Amino acid sequence: MTLNTAATSAIPADPGPKVRVPQKMRHLELFLLLIACGINASAVVLVQLGALGAIDTTLLYLGVTLSVLVIALHFVLRFVAREADPFILPIATLLNGLGIAMIYRIDIANQESGWESAAVRQTAWSGLAIACAIAVLLIIRNHRVLFRYTYIFGFLGVLLLLLPLVPGLGREISGARVWISMGSFATFQPGEIAKIALAVFFAGYLVRNRDSLATVGKKFLGMRFPRLRDLGPILVVWALSMSVIIFQRDLGTALLYFGLFLVMLYLATARMSWVILGVGLFLGGAVLASQTLQYVNGRFTNWLDALNPAVYEARGGSFQLVQGLFGLAKGGLLGTGWGQGRPEITPVPQSDYIIASLGEELGLAGLFAILALYLLLVARGFRIGFAGQDDFGKLLAVGLAFVIALQCFIVIGGVTRVIPLTGLTTPFLAAGGSSLIANWIIVALLLRLSDTVRNQPRLVV
Amino acid sequence: MSPSELTLLVLRLGFLLLLWLFIFGIVYALRSDLFGQRVRKMKTDAPATPVPAAAFAAASAAPAAAARASAAPTPPSSVGERATAQNATRLVITSGPKAGVEFPLTTESITIGRSNDSSLVIRDDYTSTHHARLMLWNEEWMIQDLDSTNGTFLAGSRVAIPTPVPLNATIKIGATSFELRR
Repeated sequence: MTLNTAATSAIPADPGPKVRVPQKMRHLELFLLLIACGINASAVVLVQLGALGAIDTTLLYLGVTLSVLVIALHFVLRFVAREADPFILPIATLLNGLGIAMIYRIDIANQESGWESAAVRQTAWSGLAIACAIAVLLIIRNHRVLFRYTYIFGFLGVLLLLLPLVPGLGREISGARVWISMGSFATFQPGEIAKIALAVFFAGYLVRNRDSLATVGKKFLGMRFPRLRDLGPILVVWALSMSVIIFQRDLGTALLYFGLFLVMLYLATARMSWVILGVGLFLGGAVLASQTLQYVNGRFTNWLDALNPAVYEARGGSFQLVQGLFGLAKGGLLGTGWGQGRPEITPVPQSDYIIASLGEELGLAGLFAILALYLLLVARGFRIGFAGQDDFGKLLAVGLAFVIALQCFIVIGGVTRVIPLTGLTTPFLAAGGSSLIANWIIVALLLRLSDTVRNQPRLVV
Repeated sequence: MSPSELTLLVLRLGFLLLLWLFIFGIVYALRSDLFGQRVRKMKTDAPATPVPAAAFAAASAAPAAAARASAAPTPPSSVGERATAQNATRLVITSGPKAGVEFPLTTESITIGRSNDSSLVIRDDYTSTHHARLMLWNEEWMIQDLDSTNGTFLAGSRVAIPTPVPLNATIKIGATSFELRR
């Protein structure tokens, strides 16, 4: 990185614990963070100007709370992870803030305020999520400890995934049984946390077993296919994700887990045959599900035949999808401006369809900026994996970054009608506490990984 | 007082501009990651002057060397004993601007390249951003070329596949040579 060039050439190769090293990375992070907070605050102000016609200072705390929290996180990093990547935190902050501004804008349209308001709740969840991120950074001082508990994380992941199926605890919302109720006021989606636990498990499992997965097998059609006993894990994960589709009616989550496992398997073994085998298995399963399960079949019809009036009018038809597309079309190149579109016409504009809402008000230019932010975030994650020295850290960093990338693809692809729509949250943007907590924990893990894998040059020639 | 259409238009465009400036700010800060590390200007009287000729000669001989390397993956054992985690303790620079400098070996792998996150940073015109890697494989030190432009040379022949490194054998990257020693 250019900005730490001066730092590394100025300091000796092994700075002692007492030597005060100028924290170039953290200074850069603080600079970017302040810009991100400024953009977030101006988004809230613009929403008020656009939708209310005046600035309402009583609600400016929506922007301020998040800023205070992320700056607290920044100062924690100054003490516990000084060499962490300086770009991840500002990018996550900006995405989170844009999400809050959009949710606030929809609250204004729906005339909700106080604890009824989704934006206030989203701000509170952001606070909790950033507190979780700080806790992760403080507790996990070296990512290698996660390797020790590989199988515990695997067990935890499956447990969290199956929790909503427990009678009395699980709750069904709009057809999908992926929530658990916590008291009377909040629901939680344990599957979001499960994806982190499973990423840790896959990374640990593959580092332990990759030799037999990579080198043994029969050659067929120019590719080396694995032995039946090595196929075990992929079949177990496949069965798990298929059971998620069948019992929880959640196609998106199943695709997410299966994609995560395949990518990590490919990374660990560098064998294309695993990917071909896995994609084949998933497509086979999905086609079978679309033929036999009413719910999956409906999603396919809505996708392929969205603009057919009969499908549009039908109950559970493509009304929402098409309204989202209309919103995006209304936005055009530069958007209608904050607070001046009508994103509230689409059902659930603040969670599943927040991308369509943002596309309407910020236009193609704004939507591409958001996609560029995701791209940079994911690229940083891959970069951390590339720079890593140990295989577990490499796999974990790439796996976590890939989860964000795949989730974006599944949900944004669904809203823009590239693939069938499945219910997943847009990372950082969408209203939803469990998703925010999971994504901020991913941010914390990536920051921790980037700090421990950062390689101080031992010699500069 | 409600803001005029024009004010809102200017604010709207200003916001999009700000968003993109933030993104380009990050990309600018990342430029060395995307386009590679800046080349350091060599001093004209540096000992590296005869190197371009040598590097070109080596590069032209590279295909033959690569073919040889793939035919016989291990270099002739006459060069010496293989460097292992036990018998190799230090990496010594034998030629180039920092000739004579050395650092101890640990069990961690050593990345070599122009990029700042390499363990051994070599900044000259002939080194790629991520050039090569020295790693322990079954307790033996192996050198792996990471698809570098100008190649990595072990005892004079270009490294095509991960190759065990003998003790005291010269590894040449750009204008710098080094050896693993006891």
